[in-house]
Amino acid sequence: MPVVELQGIGKRFGKVVASAGIDLRIEDGEYVTILGPSGCGKTTLIRMIAGILEPSEGRVLIGGRDMAGVPIEERDVGYVFQNIALFPHLSAIENVSYGPIVKDMSEEEKASIPRRYLELVNLLDRMNMFPDALSGGEKQKVALARALASGAKLLLLDEPLSALDARVRMDLRYELRRIAKDLGLTVLHVTHDQEEAMTVSDRIVLMRNGRIVEVNTPEELYKAPKELFTANFIGETNLLDGVVVRNGSDHTVVELRDGTHVEAQPSRFGPGDAVVLSVRPERVHALETGLKAVIRALTFMGTYVRVTAEADSEDVLEFDVPVARGRDYNMGDNVYLGWSMSSALVYPRPPEGIAEAVKLE
Amino acid sequence: MGSGKRALDLISRRGFRKGWTLFIISFFAFFVVLPTIFILSYAVTDWSDIQANVLSDPATMDLILSSIVVSFEIAALVTVIDFLVGLPVAWMLARKNFRGKQFLDTLIDMPLAVPTAALGFSAAIFWAATPDPPAFSLAVISGPMLLIILLHVVFSYPYMVRSLTAILGEIDETYEIAGRTLGASRLTAVRTITLPLFRAGLVTGAILCFARSLSETGGTIIALATLYGRPMVEGDFQTGSTLIGLWRSASASDPTLLPALAFVSILLILLALALLAVLKLTIMKVRLPLRKVWPTSEKMLSRRPYPFFKDLSAIVFLVVIVLVPSFFIFTFVLTGASAGSLDWAPFVDSLVLSFLVAAVVTAVDLALGIPLALYIAKNRSGKLSQLLDVLVNVPLIVPTAALGFSLALFWSFLDIEASLPVLLIILAHIAFTYPLVVRNVVGAVEGVDPAYEETARTLGAKPIQSFRRVLYPLIKGSILAGAIMAFTRSLGETGATLAVVANANTAPVYIVDLVNAQEYSLAAMACIVLIVISYLAMLLLRRFTREEVV
Amino acid sequence: MPTVTLRGITKRFSDVTAADGLDLVVNDREYLCLLGPTGAGKTTALRVIAGLTTPDSGQVLFDDRDVTTLEPEERSAVLLSQTYSLFPTMTVAENILFGPNIRDMPDEEKERTLVSLLDLVRLTKRASSYPRELSGGMQQRNALARAIATNPDVLLLDEPLRALDARLRIDLRKELKSLAKALGLTVVHVTHDQDEALVMADRIAVIRAGRIVQVGTPQEVFNSPTSPFVANFVGQSNFFVGTVVASTPEGSEVEDDQGRRVKARPTDVPVGGKAAVAVKVGHTQLVKTGATVLRGTVERMLFEGRVVHVDVGVEDLGRFSAKIPASHRDRYHVGDEVGIAWSRNKAIVFPYPEGGLEDELRVD
Repeated sequence: MPVVELQGIGKRFGKVVASAGIDLRIEDGEYVTILGPSGCGKTTLIRMIAGILEPSEGRVLIGGRDMAGVPIEERDVGYVFQNIALFPHLSAIENVSYGPIVKDMSEEEKASIPRRYLELVNLLDRMNMFPDALSGGEKQKVALARALASGAKLLLLDEPLSALDARVRMDLRYELRRIAKDLGLTVLHVTHDQEEAMTVSDRIVLMRNGRIVEVNTPEELYKAPKELFTANFIGETNLLDGVVVRNGSDHTVVELRDGTHVEAQPSRFGPGDAVVLSVRPERVHALETGLKAVIRALTFMGTYVRVTAEADSEDVLEFDVPVARGRDYNMGDNVYLGWSMSSALVYPRPPEGIAEAVKLE
Repeated sequence: MGSGKRALDLISRRGFRKGWTLFIISFFAFFVVLPTIFILSYAVTDWSDIQANVLSDPATMDLILSSIVVSFEIAALVTVIDFLVGLPVAWMLARKNFRGKQFLDTLIDMPLAVPTAALGFSAAIFWAATPDPPAFSLAVISGPMLLIILLHVVFSYPYMVRSLTAILGEIDETYEIAGRTLGASRLTAVRTITLPLFRAGLVTGAILCFARSLSETGGTIIALATLYGRPMVEGDFQTGSTLIGLWRSASASDPTLLPALAFVSILLILLALALLAVLKLTIMKVRLPLRKVWPTSEKMLSRRPYPFFKDLSAIVFLVVIVLVPSFFIFTFVLTGASAGSLDWAPFVDSLVLSFLVAAVVTAVDLALGIPLALYIAKNRSGKLSQLLDVLVNVPLIVPTAALGFSLALFWSFLDIEASLPVLLIILAHIAFTYPLVVRNVVGAVEGVDPAYEETARTLGAKPIQSFRRVLYPLIKGSILAGAIMAFTRSLGETGATLAVVANANTAPVYIVDLVNAQEYSLAAMACIVLIVISYLAMLLLRRFTREEVV
Repeated sequence: MPTVTLRGITKRFSDVTAADGLDLVVNDREYLCLLGPTGAGKTTALRVIAGLTTPDSGQVLFDDRDVTTLEPEERSAVLLSQTYSLFPTMTVAENILFGPNIRDMPDEEKERTLVSLLDLVRLTKRASSYPRELSGGMQQRNALARAIATNPDVLLLDEPLRALDARLRIDLRKELKSLAKALGLTVVHVTHDQDEALVMADRIAVIRAGRIVQVGTPQEVFNSPTSPFVANFVGQSNFFVGTVVASTPEGSEVEDDQGRRVKARPTDVPVGGKAAVAVKVGHTQLVKTGATVLRGTVERMLFEGRVVHVDVGVEDLGRFSAKIPASHRDRYHVGDEVGIAWSRNKAIVFPYPEGGLEDELRVD
């Protein structure tokens, strides 16, 4: 039995449709990320699961039970808010004890459980401090301990790391997954950061404009995205405009705007179909021959140099070279780019144009 | 264009700005604070008089002390009642969205538009068990204490609700929701999370409410006069304020009353200030332990139909106890006597005077109160600013009758009581309306992100330009609210007017005279005219700036 | 455009020291990133340049002019706050024209400026919209246009991309940088994100606890950090703690108490001195077969798209991280024994920090 099931969930605020047609199943022990740009409806979704919002249509089932009419406090779901929401008038330990107290646990539990979870997040020595004396990362850990101490097995995290510094985020995201796995929790983690999603998730639910675009493991979404939006949103990619020329059993040939022919994975398109070709920067290499492009920019990225080049077809391609080889490339140079067939994926060209189809806001 | 720019440069110079700040603070100190508490110096200068006439006279002491005790008792009860019935309404306004919310919002402010004299009269004829009660009245109350309590509850109600609404609006609802996700029922979450966070605002609301009741004079006098069917005399039920009012008018002919008058004023002021200090200092220290929960009963109370009944009873209270008595006077017109016998000329004169005073007072309050509010809000960490913030509340705490008396004493060296009484009235009214404007504006400015003005400054705007183009549009609403509060407060003020100038003839005073002369239908007529005109003025003021208020 | 100099700036707020002897020079037309963790004093430095915060001591100079006591409106340093602070009661166009209006620019010039700026930031169609109707990215562009409209001497950006989605940030970095270069602006851009700084800056100034700890080009700061903190903050590093046992102009060797000896760049740390060797995660290699000095067990593998982040636990030493191409993922599994290696010239030797390594690297 799935821990969480959403059947046909939709939510309207007046005339505005925040989400529609959501079907989802989350299994016990999964760490699932709900990923998407701001305004895609991801926070609305977990609020409906928590009971903070009521869906306009559809059913929310937790543990097989329909949650219609069930108030927040009876759903037994842990929630960590985007802005942390630690009670400012209570110390860290008092915050973490809140759940056990309002659930009227036994005296022994009320004493031991909060300490156990504060210890789990390595903040037992800060237990008497008040929220305004804690750093951002510490506050977030206390919020996590507090949600866990209430005994919930299902944890909803609403952009828990967004307010933190980049470095603190990186450290904390591993912690979240580790704790979740150690305790056998089911987690729904909302974020707009695809890098974050890829590193912590068992599965990613990609959302856009209130609908689910695609659901899959991080690896699959990265290697074989089914939608153009996914290909562009998760990881970086180069997008080239073209028309199918030939469709063979093991490859597709696409003609770019300037007439150059390039190769891609086999696809279901026929000659004459308008398509978009997607190839990731790390799969593009500078060769002796290939697609001709002029170098427009060179950017130092630390352990590699990102080269930006413009092809005659006006498509812009980015690829990376090791820092040591960076000196071989200069602005204005011609490069000849190529990639293996299996590196490039083909998608139908969206009628509204590529920019519209992949835009984030 | 050149001279305009030169003027702009001049007033933006640091030296000029410092001088202006000094001027504003001096005005506040010399025209608002000092006159208000001047009476306290009487304890030092004329201590011997007080000792002789007051402290050694048991009857007088008895009267004084009992009246003060009564004042505090009433104020405390009123505060508690207003809190209990005001909180659900404030909650509805701050947290919920429903059809008719705008309507409810306007209803709350209505008692403010009714001058205290009119309101005292209206409430009295509704509740009081007089020998010949008018039609539709309840006429069940014959005890003065209960009548006064019911009256004061009406006066203080908007202050309490507005303060609570403002604070509730500032507390992020997320805290409560967080509590509920942890398993707390709605009631438990509110009790253990929202209310503790709420304490600062609660104190403010309670203080305003308490002070309003403590200082209320005019309406109380009229209500009691209506109850007894004759003007008040010394032997009647007295609150501290009515006693001051009584003695003040009597002291014109009997100067020996002055020490007693001074003493009761001083005592009332000192006790009120002490209470203010105690409340502010202790309430934040009190820790509300989280130990006790009653999950089952609190859960039950959180479910229907209890919340519905709570809201319903709060609304019923609002209508029956607050609104009906306030506007009961209008039914008097339908059933009462003719208006033909009302002597219009002097009444119109008194109306004109009242409006003139209110207009001048509001204008001065805005011109000199806004700069002070800006100073306080922008220098939060400074000691001077914190001191000013506390001092601003003083005129609100001081009973208006005592304030009027103190002010009269302060300005007596100018000797204008005879020649230019209007000026004295204006000065008195400025004293207790100025804090209303300052408080509103301080609150508004503190709610605005300082980054707006800072950005404007880096874009090249001088402080005055940054105020006019960036800050002012964002606080216009609060300035307007403060102006309305000041205007209506001045319009309706009775006690201070009576106390500062022996025979002032503002409209409320005119009504007091009518009531004392038992000309009830005429008084009702005058009340109605006053209410209608002040309500129209309020609407006009709102409409006038509506397009500009975002 | 003048050179902006901060000299010996100190500023204390009750118990917090926001600036502790801060020295910084921003050159004409330079895009300087002020990089550091939250609380390092970055915003204070910006505010001091803008004139919104008066330092307790020190000087602010525009070229040779001492502007330390000058009011903000008299400097030409425009601040763009983290939340953009677009005036809510004004439209997009009115916001942009705020500065020109204050300066009483002639109408014709105002019109021209407005049109060209709207075009530059791609907001021509939204000129009559109000800030609340705009998306995050549009608001940011509006705020930028407003700042540029006054042709400031220096543009101060306080974490301008922080409020945006991760993906949007990457797109807008390029736009922001090219705009600045096209207009020849002098920019001080505050951020906590080292990726952002590396990509955007002409020079990076790393700030910590109110002091500038290193200034240099992205390459310099990345490849030649002058402290363990910078080594780890600008590009995560692995650390090996030991004692210097050999030091020649060609390189050095450091040995830990387990007898493991590693090679590094030449160093000034004397032989016998306790040291910490830093190697960037990106320069750390995993070795499947063959003998390496350091060996450990794979604890964790984290998929990051193009690469996989591998954490290896080395006994008595701690965690070593490395990145491997995603295509090599199947070569390793959690629990495998692997070797850690690096090229000698990628390892930098620092004197062991006085307060301990953990404290030195702390960012929170």
